[in-house]
Amino acid sequence: MADTAYIAGIYEHPTRNAEGISTAELHADVAFGALADAGLGLSDVDGFFCGAEAPGVGGFSMAEYLGLTRLRHMDTTETGGSSYMVHLSHAAQAIAAGKCDVALITLADRPVAGKAGPRLAGVDFSLIPERHFQPPVPPFPMLGYAMVARRHMHDFGTTSEQLAWVKVAASHHAQHNPQARLRKVLTVEDVLASPMVADPLHRDDCCVLTDGGGALVVVRAEIARQLKRPPVRIRGTGEAMQHAAGGRADLTRSAGVRSGAIAFAEAGLTPEDIRYASIYDSFTITVIVELEDLGFCAKGQGGRFVADGNLIAGVGRLPVNTDGGGLCNNHPGNKGGMTKILEAVRQCRGEAHPAVQVPRHDLVLAHGTGGSLAGQHMAATVILEAM
Amino acid sequence: MSGHDTQPREAALLAEYQAAAEAGILLLRACQSCGEAHVYPRPHCPLCGHRGTEWRKASGAATLYSYTTSPMLPPATHYAMVTLAEGPTMPTIIVQSDFEALEIGQPMTLRFTKGPKGAPVPAFVAPASLRAEAYAARVIAEADAVPPGEAPALAQVAVIGGGTMGQGLVSACLIAGLSAVLVDRAHEALERARSVIAANVAQAIDKGKARPAAAACLDALVCTTDMAAISRADVVIEAVYEAMALKQEVMAQADRFARPGAVLGTNTSTLDIDAIARATTRPGAVVGLHFFSPAHIMKLLEIVRGTATEPATLAAARALGDRLRKTSVTVGNAFGFVGNRLMIAREHHAAQLLLAGALPQEVDAFQTGFGLPMGTFTLQDMAGGIELAYRQRQDTGRTDWLIDRLFKAGRTGLKSGKGYYRYEPGSRKPIPDPEVEALIREWSAAEGVTRRPIPPAEMHDRLILPMLNEGFKLLEEGIADRPEDVDTVWLRGYGWPAWRGGPMYYAQQKGLGAILDRLTALQAQEGEAFRPAALLQSMVAEGRALFAPSPDAA
Repeated sequence: MADTAYIAGIYEHPTRNAEGISTAELHADVAFGALADAGLGLSDVDGFFCGAEAPGVGGFSMAEYLGLTRLRHMDTTETGGSSYMVHLSHAAQAIAAGKCDVALITLADRPVAGKAGPRLAGVDFSLIPERHFQPPVPPFPMLGYAMVARRHMHDFGTTSEQLAWVKVAASHHAQHNPQARLRKVLTVEDVLASPMVADPLHRDDCCVLTDGGGALVVVRAEIARQLKRPPVRIRGTGEAMQHAAGGRADLTRSAGVRSGAIAFAEAGLTPEDIRYASIYDSFTITVIVELEDLGFCAKGQGGRFVADGNLIAGVGRLPVNTDGGGLCNNHPGNKGGMTKILEAVRQCRGEAHPAVQVPRHDLVLAHGTGGSLAGQHMAATVILEAM
Repeated sequence: MSGHDTQPREAALLAEYQAAAEAGILLLRACQSCGEAHVYPRPHCPLCGHRGTEWRKASGAATLYSYTTSPMLPPATHYAMVTLAEGPTMPTIIVQSDFEALEIGQPMTLRFTKGPKGAPVPAFVAPASLRAEAYAARVIAEADAVPPGEAPALAQVAVIGGGTMGQGLVSACLIAGLSAVLVDRAHEALERARSVIAANVAQAIDKGKARPAAAACLDALVCTTDMAAISRADVVIEAVYEAMALKQEVMAQADRFARPGAVLGTNTSTLDIDAIARATTRPGAVVGLHFFSPAHIMKLLEIVRGTATEPATLAAARALGDRLRKTSVTVGNAFGFVGNRLMIAREHHAAQLLLAGALPQEVDAFQTGFGLPMGTFTLQDMAGGIELAYRQRQDTGRTDWLIDRLFKAGRTGLKSGKGYYRYEPGSRKPIPDPEVEALIREWSAAEGVTRRPIPPAEMHDRLILPMLNEGFKLLEEGIADRPEDVDTVWLRGYGWPAWRGGPMYYAQQKGLGAILDRLTALQAQEGEAFRPAALLQSMVAEGRALFAPSPDAA
């Protein structure tokens, strides 16, 4: 991607339980937070991006609520948790095409306070055409991921201990994050001792359920150069969608195979160039499959790759999710893509917690899987560069 | 929001798909150009893009692609993906299959099951379940096969005791076209019994389940306080309260009035048949007739052979069972006979699980997940088990920490609106009750037990294995003649899931050595209640099988 789009401002909402705060207010909190970080104001924003959890039709209500009066570009693409990698890519494309200069991307929801549980807001599941032909099971995402995990175990010999290492790494990072939902350092034994929620996934193989959100401000290069924060360039992006394909899907391979290849090609890089990666961690198995699909290791080697602390900053070869990730820190609105990008930007700026900051942080990656790894999902990869 | 449920193309395809499902057929959609089949029917081919598809019947053969189980799924249901023989992989559920024994890649067979709204949904079962079901069907058919030779003639049955069991027994006789006499000490009891019996018989006639003579037999029903009325009965069955002295007294009276050659049956569920027989002048004519309540519905009859019971008495008892369309199993005389021996073992250990850290709803959820129709504590509440256990213990001086307190708190079960659970007025749905939970915690504290979560595997071992162990003891003691008899009793009387074959069949499937090892380990940890049966030990030592040849050799 040409030298056109930069992340100029970021913000992660500190709350994990939004009792007493409305969804619209949360959107405002994160919007103002990210604009302040960038040193910009509402009147600078001419592009707006949000997902289906935003109250109102598309972005209409939030644009009015926030007071965005100069919008000339809006994109409300909803791909579940990867929406924000997609929004980031689309914002960069819109800026490159001259359709906007300052793009604001917000995510905010309150499934904990609102007692909505682990499902996507703003989606009418009664309308999907395949629903009558699906088995009568409750729509808990972990059921599909458990099937991915079991198949992965069968095909590649992946073990529950290896899955647990992903959580252990997240917990090591979360101890340094005062806002993390779970801060206790865990061992593999701790994870395996947690109750089985969907065999072979234990409770500790699952991400946290949190309220809150986050925002990004993406700007044109000329604007970025005038701002005070360390500029983070969007160097490459890729998106790919996968579904059951008439019943021919392979559960152990995600659309990340394609989204990663597209992003690396655009960036002119390979996985060996990446010093830090935010990897979508709705479940521990998600990380293992994605690391393989992105090319950080060969297919089937993900379990071995994550074991023995290889994802822990200061210990392993590839520090992953140094904020504690969705597994320990935050998974606001059941959409972990935003927080993945936020930590990648912190790392890229050199502003992660000193205990987890990677020493070389010029090239980082954030990858998301929205939807279900076991069915319809959108993978989206972004590669960021410190300038 | 009109239109959401009436998308015309989906509705049309769905109607045909569901009609086929009602007939047990899973429809796929196949492309008229590339020929490939897809699941979730569409009018175009999602694989090649051709706009023309047609229905194709799935053979029902598949292999297991992946699977999971979760406390969030309905009991005994596993979520899975299977690859159909026709090509596509589809999300589905696995029912009536042993989760522990599943393996990716193994064959699976289509079996429609009822969805939450009653409509059939495609599900899959493991081949092992089909073999177990074939075994269960075979042993029940063998038990039901009418013995060769001429059956003793039966015309009239007399029942003593007009309670729930007596009412059910009389109803069963009338429905089967036998004339009946009901004797009770109280006129009110007789009146109440007559109206219940009339309703039972009317219902059976309505459902077409009664013999033609049923209506006439109901009209001729004699309900009386006069014991002399039993004098023409071919079989006399006492169904009075479960207490030895009372049973002996009633049987002594029956002995006085029954005609020579009549069978004197006792419907005790636990008491010693020989002791009851000794109250009569003709112990050879006394037999245990252990029916299950409601007796006009439940399918099992345990015929309990006393020391003195004569072959002619057993033959008459069997003829009665056949006439009443029960599955009869002849068993030996020991506390609890066959069925309740296993049940009592389970209930004992279920209570011990509460002490160790489990809650009633968790123990019950494990049992329904295993495939049993109802968990221990739901069943106890329904059957008034707390009161029964309390009262039966009073003349022994023994105490039971939890049951005594439940009883004294008026928690006698469903009837009083609270037992191990609480119940909303008019509802039979058990609701976990914090009061009971507090009481159980208090019990653990009083016993010095540190409560801990009990994982499902441990529940299995501590609830199910003692039942199997009890089965081995019954065989060893000669109370059950054959493992098939134990299985038949639990299949027909206690709702053991046919897809698990029966308790003894299950033991054979799990491996006698493995069961012995687990019981031995539990004996070391938890005490003598888990001591493995001598027969189990010797069978493992000698490498013998329970069934010869193996029941699924076919």
